[in-house]
Amino acid sequence: MTFHPSLTEKRFDAIVVGSGAAGSAIAAKLAQGGKKVLIVEGGPDRRNDQLVSSQLWARRLKWNGAPVIEDGANPVGHAFNASYGVGGAAMHHYAVWPRLHEEDFEMASRYEVGLDWPIGYDDLRSYYDIAQREAGISGDADAEIWRPKGAPYPMGPVPLLEQGRIIARGFERTGRNVAPLPLAVTSAIYNGRPVCLWDGWCDAGCPIGALANPLTLYLPEAMSHDAVMISDTPVTRILISDNGERATGVAVRPGGGAEQVLTADVVVLAAFAIQNPRLLLASATESHPQGIGNRSGLLGKYIMTHSAALIYGLFEEKTHQYKGATGGQLVSQDSYPKRTHEHDGAFGSYQWMIAQAVKPNDLLGIATTRADLFGEELHEFMVRAAHGFGSMTGCIEDLPVATNSVTLSDQKDDLGVPLARVFHTHNEQSSALWKSALAEGKKIFEAAGAREVWTGPQGAMHIMGGTIMGSDSKNSVTNSYGQIHDVPNLVVVGPGLFPTSGGVNPTFTINALALRSADHLLKHWPV
Amino acid sequence: MGDGPEIVTISRRRFLRQTGVGGIGLLTFSIAGCQKKMTPAEARQSQVSYQVLSGSDVLAIETLGDALAPGSAAAGIAHYIDHQLNAPIEECMLMIRYLGVPTPFTPFYKGGLSAASAAATQVFSKPIEDLDETECRSLVSQIATGNVVGWQGPPSEFFYFVLRADAVDVRYGTKQGFADLEIPYAAHIEPPSSWGQ
Repeated sequence: MTFHPSLTEKRFDAIVVGSGAAGSAIAAKLAQGGKKVLIVEGGPDRRNDQLVSSQLWARRLKWNGAPVIEDGANPVGHAFNASYGVGGAAMHHYAVWPRLHEEDFEMASRYEVGLDWPIGYDDLRSYYDIAQREAGISGDADAEIWRPKGAPYPMGPVPLLEQGRIIARGFERTGRNVAPLPLAVTSAIYNGRPVCLWDGWCDAGCPIGALANPLTLYLPEAMSHDAVMISDTPVTRILISDNGERATGVAVRPGGGAEQVLTADVVVLAAFAIQNPRLLLASATESHPQGIGNRSGLLGKYIMTHSAALIYGLFEEKTHQYKGATGGQLVSQDSYPKRTHEHDGAFGSYQWMIAQAVKPNDLLGIATTRADLFGEELHEFMVRAAHGFGSMTGCIEDLPVATNSVTLSDQKDDLGVPLARVFHTHNEQSSALWKSALAEGKKIFEAAGAREVWTGPQGAMHIMGGTIMGSDSKNSVTNSYGQIHDVPNLVVVGPGLFPTSGGVNPTFTINALALRSADHLLKHWPV
Repeated sequence: MGDGPEIVTISRRRFLRQTGVGGIGLLTFSIAGCQKKMTPAEARQSQVSYQVLSGSDVLAIETLGDALAPGSAAAGIAHYIDHQLNAPIEECMLMIRYLGVPTPFTPFYKGGLSAASAAATQVFSKPIEDLDETECRSLVSQIATGNVVGWQGPPSEFFYFVLRADAVDVRYGTKQGFADLEIPYAAHIEPPSSWGQ
């Protein structure tokens, strides 16, 4: 991988701010299309051989940039969900790659709840297919009876191990369906990548290249087409032409030192759902007094995060819960239809990710599931759980709410950029959906034969929204390609574009959208 | 499913050999001005001096640590926390780094430990390190449930959660901890210390 700690050139065809899933994907495609691309990463450089198998070392992959001030009843957990360094949050993602469903794109039209996307599933379908071919997804499309139309997976399903078999009994006994979990993890040699060892260290980053993280997937592709990357280089401002109609580049502070100006024909913001709006708000000019792309007043709004419905159980059998993938072994989307739980005041979709590989410690580890225990009681629990622990997680839709938003704080970081303040409180329907999922999950575990069943708190996983796409500048920040309304050469990629969250993990959609944006930009260059 | 490519696996041993890592390295502690690599447990046995924590902080951490996760004092919880608090924030491996606490973390720890020590004196009229098992358990229970009268520190329930996580890390999150639970560690890349940090 080409790495330039300092730059002699200052002008590029495209500057991509951020090197995570979305940034690496669009950088690779623009570079492949012959563009001179610079990737600017605020955090440190990383290599796969630094990804130590330890829940403690894994914490070094988490956010370490400017503090984010969190507020509201249900904080988004930015420091846990985000990352700071080459590869971004995708370095510690679990590679669960399901597709959004058709109805997720048409929430307002179909249900008069939430927002519509400016595109439908069919607009994204071919890009899902490309992304899954390039990343390599293991799964069984036929077994996923809920799956939207699309090409079959390029690899067979991930192995079903003891924990998965045991929990699947509960779904079967309650008349529910399961299928192999679609994972961007190799179940066979794929494009030279080795087969996963199923040792459950995905959270610490995958050093062997089995999991499709940016260091394995798109960053090498970008570099092979002469893209340049600099790390430890925070972007402090987006630069705009005097008339406010064109982005001209970015101001950076390499290593926190003196400001330098880098210019480009296209600027792509790929710094995740909180830092993108922060940068746009902090780059206000005379022509964009409320922040770039904020003519609608919607910049920073509609921040969403999936609630995690955490179900735990102890079984008589040995579950070997330490084996497999951190994301799980099986999926069930029987509860995806939006109105399934409407009688409980709930609305929206969710899926179960079943039989996750779990280690003894850390926030999602065995010990934390019973944070009330300490001393000898904790030890006794740990000994029992070491042999019969099982878990599954519901990915619960969060309906978009305008007051859930990113704004600028009065406080500034070390470089003088105002900090982001994030307010987030789930609406009642989304919280009711989480409660409904917990009740269902407990029944499933009881039916599976768990001798003890308990649940976890309403945790936050994934962050979406804040720079939502839409049909025009009155209802959104960008168009469907991520181009800022009125500033077409300033492009946002990543989960911030999502007008709705659906009830599935976002990374597959992030990749598909980035590939679609790259395709559009290359076809319409100069943008 | 596409055409089935040959299914073979890369062995862990082979991978470790290929990457040239997986060796053993230890935390670096300073002894009499010299840098020496050792585990936190070894640092404790060697009575390595602390860089951030005071003597009373250490007594409180070890007392509370053993009450939270028995064996964590011997596993070096005090040296581990001291080392991490003394490290650059980007290298910090404490769970607190993603729990929304502003940096630096030292005031959080010192505030909580001071409050716990004061509570021991107030409730039991003795230093925290002199509490017997029942008293210590009672104190931890009060801290965990936010029922310490006059608590002067970070929210006690949260302090309990953070310190418990540290105790669990050194007791169960290490290669030795996995072995004690009969869980295979199965590292792709070995942690660079024998205690599995």
